[in-house]
Amino acid sequence: MAQLRTKQAATGPKKTLGQLISRDKYLLLMFLPVFIYYVVFCYLPMAGLTMAFQNFKMGSGFVGVFTGEWVGLKWFNQFFSSVFAWRLIRNTFLLSFYSLIFGFPIPIIFAICITQLRNKRIAKTAQVITYLPYFISTVVVVGMMTNFLSPSNGIINQLIKSCGGKAINFMSNPKWFRRLYVISGSWQSFGFNAIIFVAAIMGIDPALYEAMKVDGASRWQQIIHLIIPMIADTVILLLIMTLGNLLNVGFEKVYLMYSPAVYETGDVIATYVYRQGIENKNFSYSAAVGLFYSAVGFVFVMGSNALSRKVTGSSLW
Amino acid sequence: MKTRFFALVLALAMLLSCTALADAPGIQPLTDAEGASVSMLAMNSWYSTVDLSDAVLLNEIQKRANVKIEWNLIDPTIYADTVSPMLASGQDLPDIIQLPDTDSNMTYLSTGMFVKLDEYLDKMPNYSYFLEKNPDIKAALTAPDGHIYYVPQTAVASTYQPVLMYNMPWIEKLGIEPPKTLDDFVAMLRRFRDEDMNGNGDATDEIPMSVQASFLPYMFGPAFGLDLVSGFYADEEGVVHYAAYESEKYKAYLTFLHDLYEEGLLEVEFTSLNRDQTTERFAKDLTGVTYDFSWQMSNLYSAQYPSYQADPSKGVVVGVPPLSGEYEVVYICRNAVSGIFGVNVKAKDVDLAVKFLDAAMSEEAQDLYVWGMQDLTYIINEAGEREYLPKCTEDAIWYQGLGINAPNMPSQQSAEATAVLLADWHVQAIADNEAPYARPPFPAVYSTTDEVSVISMYLTDLTTYVDERCVAFICGYASIEDEFDSYIETLKGMQVEELIKVKQAQWDRYAEAMK
Repeated sequence: MAQLRTKQAATGPKKTLGQLISRDKYLLLMFLPVFIYYVVFCYLPMAGLTMAFQNFKMGSGFVGVFTGEWVGLKWFNQFFSSVFAWRLIRNTFLLSFYSLIFGFPIPIIFAICITQLRNKRIAKTAQVITYLPYFISTVVVVGMMTNFLSPSNGIINQLIKSCGGKAINFMSNPKWFRRLYVISGSWQSFGFNAIIFVAAIMGIDPALYEAMKVDGASRWQQIIHLIIPMIADTVILLLIMTLGNLLNVGFEKVYLMYSPAVYETGDVIATYVYRQGIENKNFSYSAAVGLFYSAVGFVFVMGSNALSRKVTGSSLW
Repeated sequence: MKTRFFALVLALAMLLSCTALADAPGIQPLTDAEGASVSMLAMNSWYSTVDLSDAVLLNEIQKRANVKIEWNLIDPTIYADTVSPMLASGQDLPDIIQLPDTDSNMTYLSTGMFVKLDEYLDKMPNYSYFLEKNPDIKAALTAPDGHIYYVPQTAVASTYQPVLMYNMPWIEKLGIEPPKTLDDFVAMLRRFRDEDMNGNGDATDEIPMSVQASFLPYMFGPAFGLDLVSGFYADEEGVVHYAAYESEKYKAYLTFLHDLYEEGLLEVEFTSLNRDQTTERFAKDLTGVTYDFSWQMSNLYSAQYPSYQADPSKGVVVGVPPLSGEYEVVYICRNAVSGIFGVNVKAKDVDLAVKFLDAAMSEEAQDLYVWGMQDLTYIINEAGEREYLPKCTEDAIWYQGLGINAPNMPSQQSAEATAVLLADWHVQAIADNEAPYARPPFPAVYSTTDEVSVISMYLTDLTTYVDERCVAFICGYASIEDEFDSYIETLKGMQVEELIKVKQAQWDRYAEAMK
């Protein structure tokens, strides 16, 4: 949009909407599927949020969201008085928080290391190898984890046992859930996330390196005083964007990894909503919990955008 | 004179057969119209490589009824998750629907989306006949408003249930009697663990017991006087309890399992163990005890042993009586109604849909589900009895693909029909070691609206909490000594006593209805 506006300003006299549409018809046509997607899958279903304040009846369908019996904040009260409410909020928050704390710096460090390698072929190979896991489906990753970590014949436990240790049942021990989630998540995405930082580092003017070398700066000093300040903007922007998604833990990965044994640390709001809504048919209750979740997420996105505008001067809107 | 007498006999016989027909006419052409069809939403085969939309036996029923079924078949493992949102939307639903559960909370029944079948019983002679023959099932299906909404699929309930199975050659090797008490059982497990039971020279590779976590409550609950399978249960005085809230008994149960876990008798991996792993262990002769649906003892577990393949007259993995502790020995069974079918009130031809369900309930159809068709699945032998063709056991995919025991039809399992398929020793083990100990679970009773609101508000969270604490206590993530009291307090805070009240009321209604 911003681009359209500047173009219009450049071409002088103000055009009517019809002229604008006919001028940009191909662009608009390309945008159409995206528009339809958002309307059908994101905006229309919002009407269903009324369910959270109603006693939704099976079989009443889309009409039911207008005709249901109103119960006010009953479902919200039920959620906040449930013994699980605090735990779900804590688990959701901590899982994303740890993913961020441990997942965010790794690609940066990796990108710096890669760009410092003299042998470009090794650098390229390392990059390809590390970003490939990003394309493995979550189901497969969790399957690999289950196999590698199996207490009876998993490779990790075989190693522990051959070193004289006792087998650990990683997948059903609540202590291990967050670590496994975070480690596997970082492993899968750090290579891919490093690409943007590698690009940022590559974009630094070689003349600056030359100048530093002439001044006798060591490699370490180059990193500290040149590379890090030069990519700081990119890092902060990405950090803020990630903050906005802080509550967005991957439902499918948690769902695949957890079992009643690890609900203590593994059960998050999204999985709870699924169990209550789809498995137990408490549609109204789970809609209320989901709505609460979205509201908190909304605050995070707005907050990080405002923060970004303040800190970096650039923001998404 | 003679001819007259003959004619009389003939007339009488015809009369008799007519009355018999009036009871249960079997499958009749339901319509004269060409190409009449009924749409139906149901489960596909449990065999993932089998598709039942063109099954020979089911096509035969459609042919005899002169109705074409337009199937919408869904994988049974995702059936509930797929179908309940469809039913919630209430849009574009087919004429006949197999429900995702037995609707004990009247979630679907109260919406008015299903036809009151009792008002159509004059068009459902086969179903009327069935209900007359099975008053208990009729009672279970009659909703509090007095109407019958569903046609049931029933399963064998008191036999062929999950049973305790021992690896008999191992027990013979130890020279002991199969243990019947918890103490003897634990002693045996220790020996399984420490001795070289399979004789491969390695005394450490034996896994004493391979029991999936879901079967532990079946296996050990009764010995501590608990029905953890139903959760809620009534004692002899008719007082309802919640098993995981019975402080003393449940604590003893958890302590027992925790000790097994600590000793390495209950494996570290018990929460993720599955049937395939257990099967593999039997194939390698690595394990001595399992607990599973009795069906598996001959066809799955014993079949892994070459010695059994050579001589199938004696089982290797064999069912035994349940373990007793301080309490009477029982096997907890299940309720007979395993699935239900309803007719959509918006069906394009309600009459036809109702009549088709009736035909699918008929004994003629049941015979097809069990036996298949002559020369296809069975032959009549010289003694005049039916005998399955060998292909039925040799080619399971083909056999299931015919629509045998169709999971997408109101088929009724029977113990007799099941027994025919099994080895003699297996049938004998069930008769001696399971049937005498069988005890019914908490009955399936329809809940009233008030009860539904209590149940849907508290029960899911309660069972979630109980499940996870159970694992934590057994594995020692939480200490039974220190944290059990706070666990009981939390259950109280989760309104377990409200739920017990609800279940008590349901039990009382059931007991009243049974008088």
